[in-house]
Amino acid sequence: MQLLRDTNIDFLKYRRFWIAFSLAVIAVGLVAIFYHGKLNVGIDFAGGTQATLKFSERPDVQALRDIAGGAGFREAVIQRFGEVGTNEVMVRIPIVEGSEEGGGADLLAALDARYNPGAGGALDVNRSGSDALAALLAERDPDGVGAAAAVSHYEGVADAILAVRKDLGLFTGWSQVSGAPGVSGAVSSLLQSQARLGSFAVLSLENVGPQVGAELRQRGVLAVVFSLLAMMVYIWIRFELRFGIGAVMASLHDVLVTVGLFALAGFEFNLTTVAAFLALVGYSINDTVVVFDRVRENMRKHRTEPLMQLMNRSINQTLSRTVLTAGTTLLASGTLLFLGGEVIRGFAFVMTIGVIVGTYSSIFIAAPFALLWEQLVGRRGEAADKPAATAGKGAPAPAKPGARRRGQS
Amino acid sequence: MNNLAWRGIVIVGAAALALWAAYPPKEKINLGLDLQGGIHLVLQVETVDALRAETDKDMERLRQELLDQGLAGVQNERTGDTAFVLRGVEQTGEPVVAKAAASFLPGWDWRRVGDELRFEMTSPHSRGLEEMAINQALQTIRNRIDEFGVAEPVIARQGLDSNRIVVQLPGVDDPDRVKRLIKNTAFLEFRLVDYPPGGGGAPTREAILDHYGGSLPPTVELFTEDTRDRQGRLTGQVFYALEKKRVITGRDLRSASPGSGQFNQPVVQFSLTPDGGRLFGDATGANVGRGLAIVLDGKVMSAPRINSRIGDSGIIEGRFTSQEVQDLVTVLRSGALPAAITYLEDRTVGPSLGADSIRSGLRAGLIGTALVVVAMLVVYLGSGINAILMLGVNVILIFGALAYFGATLTLPGIAGIVLTVGMAVDASVLVFERIREELRAGRTVKAAVDAGFGNALSSILDANITTLIAALFLFQFGTGPVRGFAVTLSIGILGTLFAMVFGSRWLFDLRLARDPRLEKLSI
Repeated sequence: MQLLRDTNIDFLKYRRFWIAFSLAVIAVGLVAIFYHGKLNVGIDFAGGTQATLKFSERPDVQALRDIAGGAGFREAVIQRFGEVGTNEVMVRIPIVEGSEEGGGADLLAALDARYNPGAGGALDVNRSGSDALAALLAERDPDGVGAAAAVSHYEGVADAILAVRKDLGLFTGWSQVSGAPGVSGAVSSLLQSQARLGSFAVLSLENVGPQVGAELRQRGVLAVVFSLLAMMVYIWIRFELRFGIGAVMASLHDVLVTVGLFALAGFEFNLTTVAAFLALVGYSINDTVVVFDRVRENMRKHRTEPLMQLMNRSINQTLSRTVLTAGTTLLASGTLLFLGGEVIRGFAFVMTIGVIVGTYSSIFIAAPFALLWEQLVGRRGEAADKPAATAGKGAPAPAKPGARRRGQS
Repeated sequence: MNNLAWRGIVIVGAAALALWAAYPPKEKINLGLDLQGGIHLVLQVETVDALRAETDKDMERLRQELLDQGLAGVQNERTGDTAFVLRGVEQTGEPVVAKAAASFLPGWDWRRVGDELRFEMTSPHSRGLEEMAINQALQTIRNRIDEFGVAEPVIARQGLDSNRIVVQLPGVDDPDRVKRLIKNTAFLEFRLVDYPPGGGGAPTREAILDHYGGSLPPTVELFTEDTRDRQGRLTGQVFYALEKKRVITGRDLRSASPGSGQFNQPVVQFSLTPDGGRLFGDATGANVGRGLAIVLDGKVMSAPRINSRIGDSGIIEGRFTSQEVQDLVTVLRSGALPAAITYLEDRTVGPSLGADSIRSGLRAGLIGTALVVVAMLVVYLGSGINAILMLGVNVILIFGALAYFGATLTLPGIAGIVLTVGMAVDASVLVFERIREELRAGRTVKAAVDAGFGNALSSILDANITTLIAALFLFQFGTGPVRGFAVTLSIGILGTLFAMVFGSRWLFDLRLARDPRLEKLSI
C-alpha cells in the first residue's frame, strides 16, 4: 500500500496563516495557564502530600473535602482516580508551613476518625504490614502450632493474606480473607474478633518537602532548556544556523501548544510528564530533522532552485514517511493513553498530542521559520525566492557575525 | 566465511546474548518502586546536631582537664554550634589552658576577649565531623535495614557532597515501621535521678521547680516520661530532674536482645562492655537507694530505684509492645545515629497500585506493538516482515541491556519502550520509502536497496542523535522514574540503530544473495 505518492502540495503558501493560527492556539493555552491558573502542578514541583486511597464504597468527594478541611487542609485537591467502580480517589494537600515531612499522618488520622469510627487500637487488616499481622497471630496461636514454630508459620499465613490484598487492593469482607490459601477457620475467626477491616486502604502515600520540590522544579526546567539548546547546537553544526532555529522554534511551538492543551484537559504536571515533554521535544526534532535532511540533499542537487520551492518539494517528498511514522507512533502512544492505566495517562496524553502537533509543526512551522529567519536576519537584501545558495553537509552557517550572535542568545 | 555470514553472527549473537541476559525476565529485570511497590526516601542528616554534641563533649573534657590541673572555678558555656567560652580563667592560668587545648582539642582555635576565652572549631575539623556524621548515619541505617531483611535495598548518599541519603526499599509493606526504625536516633543514656528521690516521677513541673526554690541548678536537667494505661494509650506525663552527667550511654552497650520482665511483659535485655560495666557498677554501687533513669532520645523510659550494685547487664522496661522491643533492639544493636534525620521526600507505593500499573502497562504495550506490526504488514507487505523481525530483535536487546546493566524498569520506562517501538519503525519507514522512490525511478532491486539505505542513513543518524541528546539531558537532570525513562529511551535508540539499520540491511542482503537477480521486491 502506498500513501501520498508524488504529492505536490504548496505547504508554504499560507505559512503566515499557519504561524498566526499556532500563535493563537498557544495564546489560548497560556491565558488558561497564567490567567485562569489552570496548570495543575503536582507535588513533585509544588511540594506537598498526595495519597491514593481505595474505599470499600463509592466515596463522596465533598465529604472527603470537608474531612480534609476539618484537619486543617482547606486547599486539598480531591479527584477520582482510575476507572469508575474502583472507588479510588487521589487526595493532595499542600506543604505544611515550616515542615519538610508534610501532613500525611494527620490526613489519614482524620479519615480514620470519620470512616472507621470506634475502631480503637485493633489492627486494620486493610492497612497493616505483614509483620504486625504475623505478630498478632503468633501471640494467640489459633492453629496451635506451638511457640517454637509460631513465628515462621504465621509469617507464611500473613504473607498469603497480604498477597490476596495485593490483588484486590482492599478487602471488603472477611470471606475474602478466609479465602487466602493456608488461612484456617481458627485464624479467620481470631482475626474477625481481634482485628478489623477498615473501610479504606492506602494505595500510595507520597510526600515531597518544600526543599526537594524547589529542586525538582529547577532540575525540570534545566533539563528542558539544556536539551533544547544542545539539540539546536547539534543541528547548527550538522546543518546551518537557520535550520537549527527553525527546528528549535518548531519544538518550542510543540511544547507550548501541548502544555496549553494539557493544562486545559486538567492533567497533573509532575516529573513523569516532564519526561513526556522531553520525549516530545525529541520526537518533534526528529521529525523536523528528516525534512531538513531532505532540504539539505536537494540543495546540493539543485543549487539554483529558490529555497521556498525547494523546501516545498522536500516536504512533499518526505510526506508519506512523515505521515506513516506519525501513524505508527500514534498507534503506540494512543494505546497507552486509552489502555495504559491512570498513572501513565498524563504521559500518554502528552505523547499523543505531541506527535500530532509535532507532525504539523515539521510541515507548517519549522520550514517557514527557517525562511523567516532568512528574510529577517540571514542575508539582508536577499529574498527567500532567490536561489538557495550553497550548503554542504556539515558546512557552517554562512550567516553574518551579528546574526550568529543573535541566534545564540 | 563471507561478510554476510559475519554480519549474521553478530546480529544473531547479540540477540542470543540479550535473550540469555534477560531470561527469565521475572528474575533478571529489576522493577522500579512504582511497579512493584515499596518505599523511596530522601533524608537529610542534621549534621549540626553532631557538631553541637562534639562541642559539648570537648568543652566538658577541657573543663575536666583544667580541674585536674588545679584550675578550679572555671565555667563553660556553649555559645554556638561550634563555639564555646570559658569564664573565670586568670591570665596566669592561660599556659595551662594552652597546654590542655593543644593536647585535647586539636581542632580548635581560641583567643581571649575581655575575661572570656573564646573557643571556635576550625572549619577543616567541623567539615570532617560532618563527613563522619553522614558516613556513620549511612552505616547505621544500613545496619538497621539489614536487620529488617529487605531484598536489594538501595542506601546511598545523594551526590558526593551532600548531607542527604537516598533509601529505596522495594516490596516493603509497612512504611511507617520502616520510617520509625530509620529515624530513631536511639540515643540511649543512663542518668541518676536528682529529684524526686527513690523511684517514680513528680506529677508536675512546678513540683520540681519548687524543690529547687524556683530554678534548676546548673548540674541538673528536666526530663519527662509518658505514662500509659494497660492498653498502651497515652495518659499523661511525669517529671524528673536528672543529673547532667551521664552514667553510661548506648556506646557502652555490648549487646541487646528481646526478653521478658517479671510480669512476662516485653523488655529489652542488655549487657555492657567491660569499661561500661565498670562505670555502671561503680555508679550504681555508690548510689544505692537513688533512682536511675533510662533515657531514650530525650524521653525517660523508666526510672527504677537502685536496689544494689548492678554489674554489666540489665533490662530496660517501658510498656513496650513486642514489636517495639524488637525495633528497639535493632536500633540499639545498629548503634546510635550521630544526628537527627529529616525526611525531605517520602514516597510509598503500595504493591496493588504497582500490580495494576504493570497489568495495564503491559497490556497497552502488547496491543500497541500488535497494532504497529499490523500497520507495517499492511503498508510494506513482505518487507514489513523484515521490519517486524528487527523490531523484535530491538526489544530483546533493550531488555537484555536493562538486565545486563542492572537498570531499573519503571512505568515511564515501559512507556519509553513503547515509544521506541513507534520510533524504531520510523527508521524502517525512512529506508523503505527511499527504496520505493528508487524503484520508481527504475533501478534494479539491488541498486534500490543500496541507495535506499545509503540515502536514509544520514536522516536516521541525525534524527536519532538529536533524540539521544535529549535523553542524555533527561538522565542528567532527571530523578527516579524519569531516569528510568531516559535509560530505556537511550538503550532503545542504540538498539534501533543496530537492528533497524545494520540488521535490516543484512536481511535484505540475505534475500538478495539467494536471488541476486530479484526483479520484484515486496514493498
